[in-house]
Amino acid sequence: MKSETGKTLIIRFLSSLLTLFLLVSFLFVLIRLSPGNPTDKYISAKLGSELSEKIAEKFSLNQPVAEQYFAFLSNVFQGDMGVSYNYRLPVFEVIWEYFSFTLVFVAISFILQISISILLALWVIKKQKRWLENFFASSSLMVYSIPAFVLGVALIYIFSVSLNLFPISGLKSLDYDNLSFFSKFFDKLHHLVLPLITLTAAGVAMFYRYIKESMDDVLNQTFIVNLKASGVSDKTILKKHVIPNAIRPLISVAGVELGILLGGTLITEVIFSLPGMGRLTIDSILSRDYPLVIGCVFTAGTVMILANFFADIVKLKIDKRLVKGILN
Amino acid sequence: MKSGLKIIHWIYFLWFLIASLRFQLAGDYLSLIVSYCGLLVTDLPSAITMLSGSLIDAFLSIIIFLLTIPLTIIFKKRLQFLYSKLNFSFAFLILLVFVFLFAPIISNENPEFSKNLSVTKLLPPFSTVKQIELKAEKESKLSSSETFRKKLTRIIKPSFDGKIIFADSVILSDKVFYYQKGEAFKIEDNRLHTQEAKPLIKNRFFILGTDEFGRDLFTRLIYGTRISVTVGLGAVVLSFIIGIILGFIAGYRGGFTDILLNRFTEIFLAFPVIYLVILILALFGNSFFSVVVVLGISGWMSLFKIVKSEVLAIKQKDYFSASELIGLSKFQILSKEILPVIMAPVLVNLVFLFSNVVLAEAALSYLGLGTGNTYPSWGSMISSGQEYITRAWWLIAFPGLVLILTLFCFNSTGRMLGKLFNPKLKV
Repeated sequence: MKSETGKTLIIRFLSSLLTLFLLVSFLFVLIRLSPGNPTDKYISAKLGSELSEKIAEKFSLNQPVAEQYFAFLSNVFQGDMGVSYNYRLPVFEVIWEYFSFTLVFVAISFILQISISILLALWVIKKQKRWLENFFASSSLMVYSIPAFVLGVALIYIFSVSLNLFPISGLKSLDYDNLSFFSKFFDKLHHLVLPLITLTAAGVAMFYRYIKESMDDVLNQTFIVNLKASGVSDKTILKKHVIPNAIRPLISVAGVELGILLGGTLITEVIFSLPGMGRLTIDSILSRDYPLVIGCVFTAGTVMILANFFADIVKLKIDKRLVKGILN
Repeated sequence: MKSGLKIIHWIYFLWFLIASLRFQLAGDYLSLIVSYCGLLVTDLPSAITMLSGSLIDAFLSIIIFLLTIPLTIIFKKRLQFLYSKLNFSFAFLILLVFVFLFAPIISNENPEFSKNLSVTKLLPPFSTVKQIELKAEKESKLSSSETFRKKLTRIIKPSFDGKIIFADSVILSDKVFYYQKGEAFKIEDNRLHTQEAKPLIKNRFFILGTDEFGRDLFTRLIYGTRISVTVGLGAVVLSFIIGIILGFIAGYRGGFTDILLNRFTEIFLAFPVIYLVILILALFGNSFFSVVVVLGISGWMSLFKIVKSEVLAIKQKDYFSASELIGLSKFQILSKEILPVIMAPVLVNLVFLFSNVVLAEAALSYLGLGTGNTYPSWGSMISSGQEYITRAWWLIAFPGLVLILTLFCFNSTGRMLGKLFNPKLKV
């Protein structure tokens, strides 16, 4: 059994690597297919063809496509994605600077989503009120349907413009540098309240539905009735039996949700102009900074692939029976 | 026979509502069709040059509008779902379909029409301004094509109309004065368009207010529906075709093809879709067409999985091998044997896909990577409204509300369909 788990994990890892490789190839194909290339800029009636030929040679554009492809592959896997036009820095350095914020932001939001939705589902189940369940069932669908940018803009209107409680955008106040350590922390927190609500709301609604449904499923199974008949207290049943069983399907959703979060943070960061990957991506696209765009997309894809891989490992840790299902 | 409101009643209600409110406009469109047909006979070249998108649009909508009721009666047997119970989601979705089809009838303003910015800029909902009509250019004898053109611009509003002046207030003494933001202007009598010796001054009513360029928000919202629904339909059809074909190939061939296609799907799945979409839009440029294509090729993965697993299951069945033995082609097998079986899960999936695409289109427009500026779109309306957030809440509230309701109704319809087709399935 043990060796089977190990084998599965290795195969799963290799398939992740393959996906990553395909992703890079896909990026290469996209770049090659897109109209225009670096020499276009230098083609004009006054310049003659020497300069554009020189440029083509410099960018290895006159070499066969296969060779360019391998050069691209080796560059990417060595961490060399070129130099950003706007920042005049290697792409990875730029991304790293912005990536740390997004990582923290997404992680906080993810933890909030899971914990709020589990607590909410537990609370609703404990209350055992029909109208409460119906209310949360329909309102969760409603909240899930609110696009991040509508929610964000509405929050800005209510809390920043009308009530003047939270700042409209940014991460730091003007006098940030003069603050003490703790007020620096609270200042950032103060700026992050609205973005976090924006990013978290839809996910809470989605997780709530999943957890509630799988908890209802588990509660309807015979072993719960058995436990009740044996005189186990409701609290123990909930803690020891319902939650661990109900949380299992959640993990596979969590991997998908991370992708949604990465997309959501892109929009949230634009609304609140936060210094993260999402806004970097949009800015680089709007200013046609292609090396940076490709770097951002590559990073997002890599994070996603890694996250799915780890979600599978966690799934295996929780339930060994899932070994067969993972490879499909 | 169950009692209660049916979907068909709602359709009739909406139809009669529009018909009674827009009776005159519908008549105008009909007379426009008649005179266009006359022009086709007398002066073909100028008739063809005058044929524009908005003209075809108006013709089509009035024809479909007139045919709606007869069609629902003729195809009563086939449209059984129209006799199921009405609920909120269905009601809203049918309203969307009405708005999509009959936009020129519901609002006869041009979505891009803007005039006298100082008066009409950022008006709150339910506000009115005075509208003074000026006399047209000197009316000499007109040829048939010119009379038609006159009629056309009277009925189908162009995006600019020099013969209209908006004013805050008008004073009628022996001369006509009008005020624009406290500044008084005088109009010569001979420029005024008069009716029974009185100058023609109307109240222009903006039910949802105006945006920063003085354009009517209600009209823009109506036309924005068209963008969302068109992009949604196009992308969903594209996803449907890609997903069905790839899924069929993977399930039918199996082996290496299956593994290859699976990996290929994996890349799309292992990827925040919006990054892929904006990458492609950035590299290839964003236009209406490219948005549809990109959203189409980013949504087929779940369909692929459904179709593949269903085809694998059907392959074991006897009727499948029978249909292969009698020599049906692959396309016939797909359309006759497989599609009817998998229609239920696919349909549910398509509804969710539609809501995803509408959301993605709005998000792209919000980010400035949408379908361009030719037509208003809900997302771009919200994004431009955000600049005026301190002064004009209605610019965000109405498009946002419509967007939320649309997504909500699609999601809940999808859930309902899912429960209907497969009560045990969790959606």
